[in-house]
Amino acid sequence: MNTKKSINSWQTLLKACAFTVSSLLISAPIQADETCQSPYMAKIVGQEDFVYVWTLGMEGLGDEQDKLVTVDVNPKSKNYGKVINSLSVGGRNEAHHSGFTDDRKYLWAGGLDTNKIFIFDVHTDPAKPKLTKVIKDFVSKSGGVVGPHTTYALPGRMMITGLSNNKDHGGRTAMVEYSNKGEHIVTHWTPTDGDLRGAVKTGSYADGYGYDVRVLPRRNAMFSSSFTGWSNYMMDFGKMLGDGEAMKRFGNTVVQWDLHARQPKKIFDVPGAPLEIRCAWNPNHNYCFTTTALTSKIWLIYEDDKGQWQSKAVADIGDPSKIPLPVDISIQSDDQMLWVNTFMDGKTRGFDISDPFNPKQVFEQKIGKQVNMVSSSWDGKRLYYSSSLLSNWDKKGADNEQYLKLFSWDGKKLTEKFSIDFIKEKLGRAHQMRFGAYSLYASKSPEKPVGLLAKLNP
Amino acid sequence: MAGMFSAANLSAEPAQSNLAPGYSPLTFNAPTVASYSLPIIDKAADGEVLTTAKQLVHLHELMGDKIVLLSFIYSTCSDVNGCPLATMVFHKIKRHLQNEPELAGKLRLLTLSFNPEHDTPEAMREYAQSFISDKVDWQFLTTQSEQKLQPILDQYQQSIQKVYDEKGEFTGTFSHILRVYLIDTDKQVRNIYSVSFLHADTLINDVKTLLSEAHTQKPTVVSADNALFQAGDNKQNYAQLGYQTQSIALNQRQGKAADLYANTQQLPLGLPPLPVPQNNLITADKIALGRKLFYDRRLSLNNTFSCAMCHIPEQGFSSNEMATAVGIEGRSVRRNSPTIYNIAYATMLFHDGRENSLEQQVWAPLLAHNEMANPSIGYVVDKIKSLADYEGLFEKSFAKEPDMLNIGQAIASYERSLNSANSAFDQWFFANKSDAVSDAVKQGYQVFTGKAGCSHCHTLDKGFALFTDNQLHNTGIGYRESMHKEPEKQTVQVAPGVFIEVDSQDLSVISETKANDLGRYEITQDPQDRWKYKTPSLRNIALTAPYMHNGSLSSLEEVIRFYNQGGVGNETLDPLIKPLNLTETEMGELVAFLHALTGSNVSELVADAYAAPVGN
Repeated sequence: MNTKKSINSWQTLLKACAFTVSSLLISAPIQADETCQSPYMAKIVGQEDFVYVWTLGMEGLGDEQDKLVTVDVNPKSKNYGKVINSLSVGGRNEAHHSGFTDDRKYLWAGGLDTNKIFIFDVHTDPAKPKLTKVIKDFVSKSGGVVGPHTTYALPGRMMITGLSNNKDHGGRTAMVEYSNKGEHIVTHWTPTDGDLRGAVKTGSYADGYGYDVRVLPRRNAMFSSSFTGWSNYMMDFGKMLGDGEAMKRFGNTVVQWDLHARQPKKIFDVPGAPLEIRCAWNPNHNYCFTTTALTSKIWLIYEDDKGQWQSKAVADIGDPSKIPLPVDISIQSDDQMLWVNTFMDGKTRGFDISDPFNPKQVFEQKIGKQVNMVSSSWDGKRLYYSSSLLSNWDKKGADNEQYLKLFSWDGKKLTEKFSIDFIKEKLGRAHQMRFGAYSLYASKSPEKPVGLLAKLNP
Repeated sequence: MAGMFSAANLSAEPAQSNLAPGYSPLTFNAPTVASYSLPIIDKAADGEVLTTAKQLVHLHELMGDKIVLLSFIYSTCSDVNGCPLATMVFHKIKRHLQNEPELAGKLRLLTLSFNPEHDTPEAMREYAQSFISDKVDWQFLTTQSEQKLQPILDQYQQSIQKVYDEKGEFTGTFSHILRVYLIDTDKQVRNIYSVSFLHADTLINDVKTLLSEAHTQKPTVVSADNALFQAGDNKQNYAQLGYQTQSIALNQRQGKAADLYANTQQLPLGLPPLPVPQNNLITADKIALGRKLFYDRRLSLNNTFSCAMCHIPEQGFSSNEMATAVGIEGRSVRRNSPTIYNIAYATMLFHDGRENSLEQQVWAPLLAHNEMANPSIGYVVDKIKSLADYEGLFEKSFAKEPDMLNIGQAIASYERSLNSANSAFDQWFFANKSDAVSDAVKQGYQVFTGKAGCSHCHTLDKGFALFTDNQLHNTGIGYRESMHKEPEKQTVQVAPGVFIEVDSQDLSVISETKANDLGRYEITQDPQDRWKYKTPSLRNIALTAPYMHNGSLSSLEEVIRFYNQGGVGNETLDPLIKPLNLTETEMGELVAFLHALTGSNVSELVADAYAAPVGN
């Protein structure tokens, strides 16, 4: 009896919502660090107020320990381009990546060496993050996973990729789920030949290695990439490149997972250490990019017209014979451009990816003597760059520049807006950058929010 | 406060694609019921709520008898991808349940308002009117007040935030994160859904998956294959494009404790009596304690490094995966991790032979800045004393609390139990079983003791063989590293079968200055001792690649070629090292011989190591 009525009333409800539907949309063009975030969280679509730089302590510099550095990046602020806060966490943990929880109230930042995860409250006072919890038993709780890398928001929980394990410090590892409260939920081991866990080995490799993770809920797909174990990522870079045994221990795979079931489906051969994964934003673009650090290629992971996921090398990055070492990448949210940083030559490269099967380099500029991360504002007009790759992989001596730099991008050229010398400021090695804004936490705003918020439904 | 999902003041054409997936048919095949598991995320919190009949109940009273889907909404919410989505998805589930009465009896839908001010029981009753059904248990709830509500929101981490207008007046709207919780009959949260994940089909499958849980306990099958007691993957063909992984899963790395004490009493065939210091007689307790210490990563400044991180059991109690070791924080160590198999017999320890007892030796890596980096002896002693899981163990083994002496004694006792022999060679040579080895091995033995002269240093004795003279020799390996000019190009492998020639100059910028290594000279300061290193035992040599004190030779074949060419000439080159003129066949036979030196109890010792507790 109720069915018909309830449907009608549902339709009414839906109609009433029509205005809101339109108001939710964000008009084109949108570009995307914000696009490197988990897409299922609040976004800063206007001017960000802060950049949080997860910074590695450096022996012999300042207080020598890892810290979360807050930089004021709002041009209207009197502190624009200045470090306004630095929160030291104790020890050198091999600070690396960080990510917000889905409600964007907390920033989780991992240490690849000590396996600690530092949880910062960034909502109470976005200008002054507070360390609220340190997870110290990640290794034992996870069943032996070492090297918490990506901290990626899923509903009510974080997916944390590992890089290594506590048995041999090699590359076999897992993804580990934690609740937003900081409790271990479950560990998902990356498939190996010994335990494919139901996955299909599509090529020659099933190494069980890990690095980054991204998801496409609309396709129920999750992808993980593969780097190397503790022994290598902590080793002196030059020593490692000269060590034939060490060089046999890099990941050569990307794994497609069933996102909902958290089960590996397919293992793709992607030789040469595929690192960051960035998925396209357009709801009809069922593909993701990754780049291989050692073989210097852009790979496309895409769904074919039969609904099957495939992998394909689609472009070279610089001159692969020189090992430019592609590191961080950033996709614009109109899916037209992919920024690719190459560590060795300190360059950022823009690739036109309007045809994802044929990326073309359309821009190149040297950012510094070394460059690692790139983070883009939502509108694509501001690109932040940082310098540090890994403490023992960074360049030595005078080439060890450590910085945060902001550039504006007008579609044709990059113009430097400010640069902070992290050595001069006695801070350390600048690694990952995440954005903060008062607008996210409106009730705390000291002034009228300038940021606009929206969500996307890719 | 909350992450906001409120409307932005931007206009654009509405599009279907901007409706949450929950409004449309599922665009993928939902994973099959019971083919996956839903781990426990959290306990489902309790709290006082009001029913539409104004009845005060605890949330927990509405859980336990059925699986629950709990959604937080407010009735006037107009964000199409917010509360209406949650209600719409519940509505779809309700319609589905009407066709599955059995399932309907096992599920309860709860819609709880987070706006008690407006959403009174009456308001919720009105809101519920078009949704309720006598066939489906869907209850609409609110709370008495914001004070009663807040702890519930906090526990479920449901972020909400009132939206105020420019005058500071509450607009009646909230920005909030959309969350729906799946709660099992043990009142545990088993899934959380937000806008991109909320879909009736997957929710129903999740409910069915929970219901079928009792039937889907999958036992872990662990094979007892000896291949499992090897390094994580076989990288032998990595230089070839046709390389294929044969990786072992870490969950297959499961072992079984062995009787290590027995392994010190009944020694495997081919070993001489075990030398044991009078002041540290072996006991099973000491071995067990030493084993626990050996695998304890907490015995380092930053809790990341145990002895076993460099002496990896399945890698020959050495490290196959790098030429020279790295220690804490990735600091470079100059030399290759030596195996500790049969280390009880070593009269000199370290590659340069600078230490003379295991009890003393263990302290060097514990305190080395580039190994485990403990700042002092007292620091280690105090740390062990502070670890609850060591309580009473030293007292049991030594009738004393931990101190410098007995920590060394415990670890040394474990190391003295890692005796491995009774190899195919031993069976043939000492037990006279002629079919224990192939003819190639027998020929290899002839070359080893004859033409190649290996046994001058890698000695055999009457009734036993340790394959070491416990002396130091200059083979030219160290000389080459110290004195040869660096080549202009360096070959770097970047993927299986893919090599790149790189300018050494380009690498210098990312390389620390390499520490020099003069071998025994560093201890004696005698120029005659430059680049002399200890003769290692050859037992289990097939397991301990790469070879030489600096790990510069990656295979036994390479090692034999190195000696066949007469090492590397230099002023203090050992006179025994000279060109050997071995044929390819003879070199092959030598390799076969060396492979026949792998002990029969390796799997047992490695399995024992797998069973050891790892302190993290």
